[in-house]
Amino acid sequence: MTNQNPLLSVKDVVIGIPHPRRETLIIVNKANFDIGNGEMVGIVGESGSGKTMVCRAIIGTLERRGAKVLGGEVFFDGIDLAKINEAQWKKLRGKSIGYVPQSALAGPNPVLTIEAQLAEALRNTGDTKNLKTRSKELLDLVKIRRVDTVMKQYPYQLSGGMRQRVMIACALATQPKLLIADEPTTGLDVTVQSQIMDLLTEIRSSMGTAIILISHDLALIDDVCDKVVVMHAGATVEVGAVKDLEKPRHPYTVALNSSRIDIAAPGSELVTILGSAPSVGQWQAGCRFSLRCQFVQDDCKVGEHPALIGTRSSHQTACLHADKLEGVR
Amino acid sequence: MSDFLIEAKNVSVTFGSGSTKVEAVKNVSLSLSPGEPIGIVGESGSGKSTLARVLAGLQPPTDGEVFFNGVSVYKGAKSYTGEARRQVQMVFQDPYGSLNPQLTGLSAVSEAVRIHDKCDKKSSEVRALELLHRMGIAQLDALKKPRQLSGGQRQRVSVARALSANPTVLLADEPTSAIDQSAQAQLLNLFRGLLNDGLAIVLVSHDLGVIRYLTKRVYVMKDGVFVESGITEEIFNDPREDYTKLLLASIPGHLGVAARKKLNG
Repeated sequence: MTNQNPLLSVKDVVIGIPHPRRETLIIVNKANFDIGNGEMVGIVGESGSGKTMVCRAIIGTLERRGAKVLGGEVFFDGIDLAKINEAQWKKLRGKSIGYVPQSALAGPNPVLTIEAQLAEALRNTGDTKNLKTRSKELLDLVKIRRVDTVMKQYPYQLSGGMRQRVMIACALATQPKLLIADEPTTGLDVTVQSQIMDLLTEIRSSMGTAIILISHDLALIDDVCDKVVVMHAGATVEVGAVKDLEKPRHPYTVALNSSRIDIAAPGSELVTILGSAPSVGQWQAGCRFSLRCQFVQDDCKVGEHPALIGTRSSHQTACLHADKLEGVR
Repeated sequence: MSDFLIEAKNVSVTFGSGSTKVEAVKNVSLSLSPGEPIGIVGESGSGKSTLARVLAGLQPPTDGEVFFNGVSVYKGAKSYTGEARRQVQMVFQDPYGSLNPQLTGLSAVSEAVRIHDKCDKKSSEVRALELLHRMGIAQLDALKKPRQLSGGQRQRVSVARALSANPTVLLADEPTSAIDQSAQAQLLNLFRGLLNDGLAIVLVSHDLGVIRYLTKRVYVMKDGVFVESGITEEIFNDPREDYTKLLLASIPGHLGVAARKKLNG
């Protein structure tokens, strides 16, 4: 069922920032992935690889940042997101799709109490009755203790982990089908991080919510997700089940995997990725990873960025020489 | 003469008084031998950064004493006088906040070289470039200001600046928490190189993966006290305290999976 009709389908998406005088700056080109109902998918990539931009395209807030979807298609629950107007967006955003932003500490509105904040999110459902009881239920759901005290408190009175829980509670107010969590645990302690991850996993199994988890920590994604989407310089370079990614087929994923310190032996040389990710607007022809790739061939440097290909549809790689790489590792 | 490079004896740090009194560090003792990599691990608020600042000479302890090469570090209002000041250097958590936004990497590092070596501008710049090059910062990037550099590059500039004094101890407070995975690998490789050159490193972090990778001995800190300390490998394989077990089980990925299995029996 999920295979034929994914909840969310992102296909060949191109995102750019139009400029009145200069050429449009392309920041994402060829983002590709599907998410089934109730699936938990991790998006991994370096800073600036376009992870957050793709998610903004899904919730339709790109234009506030001056960016635009220029090509490809995003389907959510059978709706073509390119064809809907702002009024329809409002119905979708915060209702069918919940979003937990990156910075937990700056996320909640500092001048509203937690109660007011949750009530605002709950009003989005259209049902404005019993706001207080429902707010409390939400806090229970995200496992906040001392609910009555917390309801009256302001964000500055809460710890980072608590604030992140409140943000997740707000996002869950409307029982969305999809929850996007953009680096939800950056800056939080490992113990708090594991609590938040447990919470997300639980929400997913109890409410059947599909979850996108954005992170640059492959180890974290390995722990909780079913599927991994690897992004580099605005393109999806590899998609596969967590298990598939143990044997990565794209040189970038190979390098990412071998820079993981949870696998490396103490004191051994860590593999680092050559150079830094190409800046937006300075992508080379051909494969955008070619300058940093240790297996680069002549045909990698010409033409378009390679498309995602895969023998099995679940594990796809955007590398011309993925087959040869299989023996190298 | 003591065998230890740095020795902290019964150090306590208290902030505020009365109802707002906070005991950040409570009666802890720690030792560091020359060339040794040690780790201090704990959650936010455990007092690990305060302790690092005490070791760096930036925070006088309320009680207890710190010795460098057997000599007391804090004398009246001063700390690390004379030669000792040069030998202990610190790298801070936030590379945005610790570099002067107005200075290029080259001028930030060469300024530090001039202060420590008391040499002229030209030779200080030659030495600064050398240090930056060692940290993997090319000449072109050395002429950029912090905002034009990536997080990982900025952190490497901070390390180069700390090294300009030719220290024997490097105190690193969460050096990898603000940068992404491949930049972290680069920085850790550099630290490993520095250890091979005989530098002692005190690594303060909440990331047990980093601690396991780099250090030989570790102190686990909670609420201002050490709950457990010992050889890093032994603590990872056989943690005694419940708190250490919990910390280990929280690490994402392979390390955590193993620890979680143990925790659940």
